[in-house]
Amino acid sequence: MKRRATAALGAALLLAACGSGAPDAGGQPARAAGIRVGTALASEQVLARTLDAAPSSLDPAMVTETSAQHVLDDLFEGLANLSPEGHTVPGVARSWETSTDGLTWVFHLRHDARWSNGAPLTAADFVYAWRRTVDPLTAAPYAQAVAPVLNAYEIATGKRPVSDLGAEALDAHTLRVRLSEPTPYLPFLMTNAWMYPLYRPVIEQYGDAWARPGRMVSNGAYTLQEHVIGNRLTMERNPQYWDAANVRLRRVIYYVLTDRNAQSQRYLAGQVQFVETIPTTDLPWLRRELGEQVVVRPYLGTFYIGVNDRLPPFRGNPQLRLALTMAIDRDKIAAHVLQGAGYPAWTLVPPLDGYQPQIPDWARLPDAQRHQLARQLYREAGYSAERPLRTELTIISGDPVTTLTYEAICAMWRTVLGAEVGLHPEEFKVLLQNNRLHRNILFHSAWIGDYPDPYTFMQLFKTGFDLNYGGYSRPEYDALLAQAALQTRNAERYRIYQQAERFLNADGAYIPVYYYAVRHLVKPYLKGFAPNIVDRNPSRHMYLLEHAGE
Amino acid sequence: MRRYLLRRLLGAIPTLLVIATLAFAMLHAVPGGPFDAARPMEPEIRKAILAKYHLDEPVWQQYLHYLGDLARGNLGPSFQYRGTSVNELIAQGLPVDLAVGGTALLLALLAGTSIGLYAALHRNSRRDWLLMGLAVAGISIPLFVIAPVLVLVFALKLHWLPPGDWVAGSLAHLVLPAVALALPYTAYIARLTRGSALEVLGSAYIRTARAKGLPLRVVMLRHALRPTLLPVVSFLGPAIAGVITGSIVIETVFALPGIGRYFTLGALNRDYTLVMGITILYGALIIACNLLVDLAYALLDPRVRHEP
Amino acid sequence: MSLRHGLWQDAWRRLRRNRAALASGVLLIAILCAALLLPLLSPYSYYAPDWDHLIEPPAFRGWHFLGTDALGRDLLVRTLWGCRISLLVGIAASLVTVTIGVLWGTIAGYVGGRVDALMMRSVDVLYSVPFIPFVIVLTVLFGRDLLLIFIAIGAVSWLDIARIVRGQTLALRNREFIEAARVAGVGTPAMILRHLVPNLIGIVIIYATLTIPTVILFEAFLSFLGLGVQSPMTSLGSLVAEGAGRMQSYPHLLLVPAVFLAAIVYAFNYLGDGLRDALDPRDR
Repeated sequence: MKRRATAALGAALLLAACGSGAPDAGGQPARAAGIRVGTALASEQVLARTLDAAPSSLDPAMVTETSAQHVLDDLFEGLANLSPEGHTVPGVARSWETSTDGLTWVFHLRHDARWSNGAPLTAADFVYAWRRTVDPLTAAPYAQAVAPVLNAYEIATGKRPVSDLGAEALDAHTLRVRLSEPTPYLPFLMTNAWMYPLYRPVIEQYGDAWARPGRMVSNGAYTLQEHVIGNRLTMERNPQYWDAANVRLRRVIYYVLTDRNAQSQRYLAGQVQFVETIPTTDLPWLRRELGEQVVVRPYLGTFYIGVNDRLPPFRGNPQLRLALTMAIDRDKIAAHVLQGAGYPAWTLVPPLDGYQPQIPDWARLPDAQRHQLARQLYREAGYSAERPLRTELTIISGDPVTTLTYEAICAMWRTVLGAEVGLHPEEFKVLLQNNRLHRNILFHSAWIGDYPDPYTFMQLFKTGFDLNYGGYSRPEYDALLAQAALQTRNAERYRIYQQAERFLNADGAYIPVYYYAVRHLVKPYLKGFAPNIVDRNPSRHMYLLEHAGE
Repeated sequence: MRRYLLRRLLGAIPTLLVIATLAFAMLHAVPGGPFDAARPMEPEIRKAILAKYHLDEPVWQQYLHYLGDLARGNLGPSFQYRGTSVNELIAQGLPVDLAVGGTALLLALLAGTSIGLYAALHRNSRRDWLLMGLAVAGISIPLFVIAPVLVLVFALKLHWLPPGDWVAGSLAHLVLPAVALALPYTAYIARLTRGSALEVLGSAYIRTARAKGLPLRVVMLRHALRPTLLPVVSFLGPAIAGVITGSIVIETVFALPGIGRYFTLGALNRDYTLVMGITILYGALIIACNLLVDLAYALLDPRVRHEP
Repeated sequence: MSLRHGLWQDAWRRLRRNRAALASGVLLIAILCAALLLPLLSPYSYYAPDWDHLIEPPAFRGWHFLGTDALGRDLLVRTLWGCRISLLVGIAASLVTVTIGVLWGTIAGYVGGRVDALMMRSVDVLYSVPFIPFVIVLTVLFGRDLLLIFIAIGAVSWLDIARIVRGQTLALRNREFIEAARVAGVGTPAMILRHLVPNLIGIVIIYATLTIPTVILFEAFLSFLGLGVQSPMTSLGSLVAEGAGRMQSYPHLLLVPAVFLAAIVYAFNYLGDGLRDALDPRDR
């Protein structure tokens, strides 16, 4: 009797020991790095996460960088909000509808939406905020991002008065927005900082210096408690937020760590639970150490080489451009230089829902054949071993992986074609200025999309666009863009954009290299995070599970 | 004495003016502006921003404008941290650098002079060679290698100290940055002290004291110490100014919110006002420290006299 | 003339007796030879990536003696190239520093009066200008040419030596041979170049030698900021700066260049100290 009981007890204990790596709510065993994760919530719901750069300001109208957007995602909420997967969901507006021509949208705001000081949030707060952003007197750097709203562009460039902005508060909880052209991705735009509502009394009282702890009035899941400029931000849960009951983290601390190595070091030391970016060069080692905690996924950005359309040798020489783009072994760069944190790119727009890149035929050729084709085009362009191409590729200085990538590309050009392209690193601002003056012949370019729609990339090659540094100009391309802008349905627009991209690729308007990837470290006990293509990860959804063994 | 001080302080004003002008000219000579970014900006919008910060005015006008503000103690708005003034940024960062830098220099002074004196007293012994060898190591290995090694060992592996950040009043957060910063200064002061001590010990009046039969240690402390320390005091002047304006290496490695990184970040982001503000602060500190050094010289070396 | 000759012989004898300085000299020559010759003998280039051999730790046998870097390039070859560039930058910047400093100091010290006051006042003012933003501005203004990096470094380091040279010049000014030359009608430029400077050679050599490691370390600091010598060209400073970021994951990337850097800086320091003892003897 006793022996059987002992055996049963032993078996039970054995089973219990096997099950101690308890599956978490996501259904995956959490054994990584010796951390044991329970299923209950941790008693301390405090999240520490990192930022790559210091936000230049916490005034939503003044920000341009992604770090600032991440912080503001927690402090404010726009008409729409984002799910962990990056899909738009209702925010301050609980529903909206659009007219058949797509030019008028009506947003119905929640009645329980409040500011952090308890004041009710009304449609007028949105109208005030957007008018302030486009007002030239405010000097908002990205005022033109409000452009889809009717007359926003004209007001920002001083041609119309602020009152002409196509946004009206029909009543306290109804907002009507009129657009200059149909914009199916408008709900996503409403999640961006420059479309947030603002609390007028505080701004009128403090002017430009209103966005500080103790003064700032916001409407998001968190309020700003502490801001050590350039170093650290601390925010506490906002009890006035309409969905505060579902916000589990009570405090979020953001550490600004411009040194990427520092970010992974703090993570390994257990000080932070979420890392915004890890250095590419450390990926193999971190993958070995941390396994699934390393999250590498596609990001809405493209890394490409800009080509100057106005100066020799590339002016009027499409074969030369094609030769150069064919000679690049993108898979090697993605695998060896980027350690898998980058995806070979043959087109401008990264893969999106419903929009897949059209890979050119030559990309599918085996390497030897592709190189052969490249050499042929190189000769057709007028170059050879006796008369090699000699030119310069201007890049930003100071970023080791970017430099490695370009070194690899130049080495490939030298090996495959015999072309001698020198690397010329320039300090960032100098590069920008030289680009603006169309002085650089080949230059580093990177663009992160503002919203998940191809247009954010397509606009880069519109005639006369500010960032069209190569000076590319093709009337057919511009016409296609204008045509797409009039469509109300994405299927139609995407079809036209695919057509437009074919022009870019045939003309060799740029030399694509790779699509970006996000590189996060996420503790196995941090939940409510999902990688998404726009890399927006509001803390609102996140929570910490009980854990031990760190 | 009072007239001397007054003369020195008045003489500081044209110096500061020259520094401000030099810095202003240098910064505006560089291509690229504070609001150039990799984001599209229509020309009218750019014009509006530049107008708001008076950056569209001719350079000499901006200069006069800046001087006018400067006279009132206003260092202007920061261009990279919108909505914040340079005065506020300095006020936020200065206490950090004072704490870390002050502690570091104090440690370096105590340790460096002790090591240097010890080495001088045991000249050419194995201990002397070892200590001076370590001292050369302290000035040979870059700080941006030493500091991360310290972080790796003491913070990440042993978990004795936090890996960085700044919490006002927390001693634990002060230790590693102060010790890391102190190391190169300790090494330099040790070498300086040893060299100076040997020179002093070889001089006539010290030899006289020794000939009188006094033991070396007494001679050292009573007669030789003050002249030995003169070059160290000289060195401390600019060292204090440098340490107060922060070390960008220490601030980057330990993620400290000091003003040192404003030099680099400010220059790279073309935050004219911020860089100029700190440059002027640095200049003022150097002038003040040089004055203190000269006064200290008068105390330490009775041969030095100032005109009444 | 013969007096000076005798002084040099004495100095050389003293230097030879200083074992540390001698060993340092030998080490520097060895490194210099290795840096110039080995890359020619090695099958690897310092810039060509090798995808099959990424970040290999040192093997001490086979071809990649000290391992490879993130693009598969042989670390020993890159480090020796780094030595070349660092030494080049160090010596060149040191020459610039010494040239400006000596000319400035001798002119101020010899001419004296208002010119001296103005020149030394300028030095005082320049001392009060923080050199970091100044160097950043210089490197940005002049692009990232190798030549201009060491001009930038040289331009901010000449203040100390100018002061010292001025002091020495003041002392020399009243010596008999200078008086004699003046009476003989030697003009100021000739006085400075032919009579003063040669007598300052001792000081100049000492300070030039001691400036070189400072410059090399300063270039390393610039590399840490992202402003130093740019890829694919490399210096010890940029190798160390790259390696410092990977200390935890791939320590050999830091250790190899750091050892070379420390060795070179050590050697120059001991050599400089030895030269100072030899040329400027006091009871040390």
